[in-house]
Amino acid sequence: MSLTDLTSMAKPNLESRERILAKLHGRDLLNCFLCVKCTSGCTALKLLELKPHEIEKLVNLGFVDELASSDIIWTCATCLKCFQRCPQKASPYHVIIALRNLAVEREAKVPEAYMKAVSQILEGGLAEQVQKVTNMTMETCDRESLKLPKIKPPKESFQIVFLKALEEKWP
Amino acid sequence: MTRIGVYVCHCGLNIAGVVDVENVADYALTLPYVSVARHYTYMCSESGQRMIQDDIKAHKLDRIVIATCSPRMHEETFRRAVAKAGLNPYLVEIVNLREQVAWPHSEEPEKATEKAKALVRMGVARVKLLEPLERQRVSVEKNVLVVGGGIAGIQASLDLANAGFKIYLVEKAPSIGGRMAQLDKTFPTLDCSACILTPKMVDVAKHQNITLLTNSEVTHVKGFVGNYEVTVLKNPRFVDEAKCVGCGLCTQVCPVKVPDGFNENLSQTRAISIYSPHAVPKVATISPDYCLRLKTKNKTVCGKCVQACEARAIDFDREPEDIRLKVGGVVLAVGSEVFDASRMPEFGHGRFPNVISNIEFERISDASGPTEGKIMNLKGRKPPKSIVFVQCVGSRDKRFHEYCCRVGCMVSLKQAILAREKLGKGVDIYVCYNDLRAFGKGYEEFYRRARDMDINFVAGIPSDIRSTADGSLYFDVFESGTNKLLELHADLVVLANGLVPSDGISKMKELFHVLRSRDGFLLEAHPKLRPLECSTAGIFLAGACQGPKDIPDTVAQASGAAAKVIDLLSSGEIEIEPLKAIVDKDLCSGCRVCESLCPFVAVEMKKEEKSGKEGLRAEVIEAVCQGCGLCSAACPTGAIKIEQYDNRQVLAQVEAALAGAEHKGGSRR
Repeated sequence: MSLTDLTSMAKPNLESRERILAKLHGRDLLNCFLCVKCTSGCTALKLLELKPHEIEKLVNLGFVDELASSDIIWTCATCLKCFQRCPQKASPYHVIIALRNLAVEREAKVPEAYMKAVSQILEGGLAEQVQKVTNMTMETCDRESLKLPKIKPPKESFQIVFLKALEEKWP
Repeated sequence: MTRIGVYVCHCGLNIAGVVDVENVADYALTLPYVSVARHYTYMCSESGQRMIQDDIKAHKLDRIVIATCSPRMHEETFRRAVAKAGLNPYLVEIVNLREQVAWPHSEEPEKATEKAKALVRMGVARVKLLEPLERQRVSVEKNVLVVGGGIAGIQASLDLANAGFKIYLVEKAPSIGGRMAQLDKTFPTLDCSACILTPKMVDVAKHQNITLLTNSEVTHVKGFVGNYEVTVLKNPRFVDEAKCVGCGLCTQVCPVKVPDGFNENLSQTRAISIYSPHAVPKVATISPDYCLRLKTKNKTVCGKCVQACEARAIDFDREPEDIRLKVGGVVLAVGSEVFDASRMPEFGHGRFPNVISNIEFERISDASGPTEGKIMNLKGRKPPKSIVFVQCVGSRDKRFHEYCCRVGCMVSLKQAILAREKLGKGVDIYVCYNDLRAFGKGYEEFYRRARDMDINFVAGIPSDIRSTADGSLYFDVFESGTNKLLELHADLVVLANGLVPSDGISKMKELFHVLRSRDGFLLEAHPKLRPLECSTAGIFLAGACQGPKDIPDTVAQASGAAAKVIDLLSSGEIEIEPLKAIVDKDLCSGCRVCESLCPFVAVEMKKEEKSGKEGLRAEVIEAVCQGCGLCSAACPTGAIKIEQYDNRQVLAQVEAALAGAEHKGGSRR
């Protein structure tokens, strides 16, 4: 390999790059020409320093491993603005999702909140826990007091399908 | 006894690098009727051509197969070469070993060689059955139609008129001048656009060889190269061009306010007005969509302009007029349009009054524009404290137009320099760019000049532009040179809108049966070697209708197109290709399928008597037919055939192809 990142002495990993390309069904979504419009408008940039154009470029160069094991890919808010606004119809969003899948495949560290969300769905059928709300007159209400139906736990068949889906290998 | 010569070209390493040319030549020698087979580095070179000519004489060859590049490249070269040796030029068959074999199959040289052999075998089978054809000469009209009166049409008209041709210049608007007339100054020399354009416009009006048809459009085209019959619809101005002196008194009294298209609708004019300050002809025009009397069709309504006009030029009874012209050639110079940035909601054009397009900036900066040349934002009418230019709007964008607009960068550099000159040092000027392209003569120096004038370049494109309640704008942009997220505040944002194909282009496509390229502009016959002409003979291209262009390129292309017209028409007659469709009248059933399919309108249905009954028969106008073969393929009775491509000749090729499949043990599925 003719390329070295002298700041970390890392070498590109073309195999990992091929995995990402397979997940993205080709390189259309990686056709970035660095206009940086995605990063200018990124919802996660200001707080979390996610730079979508950098992710596009790093994957193109083959520096996939450092991304797959980094926390940065988990900060994407999946608002899809980068995909919608990209003048080249590339999509940092799709690349980030592919990187997340690769990270899970390799059993890299996944942020706790995500694992929590998964067990939440498995047990309760919802991505968020049922919460109490405070209304304008400062009363605290729950579903019962608002006469909303109770939330039933998901059927067993759902849990089976869900677990199976988790174990399934994506391309 | 047929004696065939086969010549395999190496094309340097283009073909020989993949195909085993020696093997192909050896194989050709084993084919029936082949007397000579050779291979050579460059068949198209002088020595290559001489080799063929010598062989024709020495071996008495009467058919030639040349296995080389695409016939679009050198068929004509080889036809001329064999004609010099005394052979009919239509007894040559070109086999394409470069575009159809070597280039697409560079990974599989062995299979490529097999394919080359098969194609040569097919070529030999076909060439045996070719018949000698003679070229015809037809006389041509020495008049030229120029469609579009922008700088491209003006330049082509002047060049042709000076060369002695009679020109009809048709312009849709009430004045010539086009886009260039709207511009303030021009890059990279900062000449005032009006100063260099207006004299040319006046020259057009005064030239004895040019008939200027403004407010007019081409509605119908018939005929063929050298002999086009064109109908031009001259829309009424309702003002007598001979009487009107262009004083503008009528505009002062007219009560109906109308958006001023010349000023990009940034200001208003009246229902009777002179198109622009430098209009040629400088004559008032009444807009029938707005004029009260014309709209109500009531002769007692309004009429203030009639009272004001001292020259008694106004005439409400004018009717549209059809003008029929006979011309030998056509120059299409219908130009382009500016991208409509309101299609990109993220930039807020159309929503925020202080986000303007580059063409709107031109009008604001121009001394004859709505602000008399004072750069100001349109809401509040104050000079801006900060201006931001945003590049690549609608171009280099797969959602809209994939191509580079070729002018956006230079236009923004020029406008930034103009803003700095007019507003002085206290103003912040930024250019948010992606790649800054300054490729022309003197352009890079111009870019340097902009940097010297304290214009800041930000390497990044904003994702959304936002507006505060008072109309000032702000947005985030990530600067990739410094890796910083910048927040910019601006009183004026100028979008570098690209050039896009106009409605005129789709009209030209229908009228003249010319082709469009994938980007929507008109397609030239060859991107490198025939960039000034359409594939339809006698139709030439000038300016931005062929692809986005700046003024220097447009003028160069217009002069080039004029030279091509002179080349075509100056001798008074032209040679036409004999590869045409011919109709067997006994077989024709008059079903009209060919007539409906012909893209060149070369088929006419004639009434004719046959076995006592009257019926329709197809007839091909030879000079119009381009020999494309659509009719022949579709004809249900097989009555139409194309010279050199009749069933016998094509089937011989098919049989030769299948013979090889059997030979290799392949199946005939």
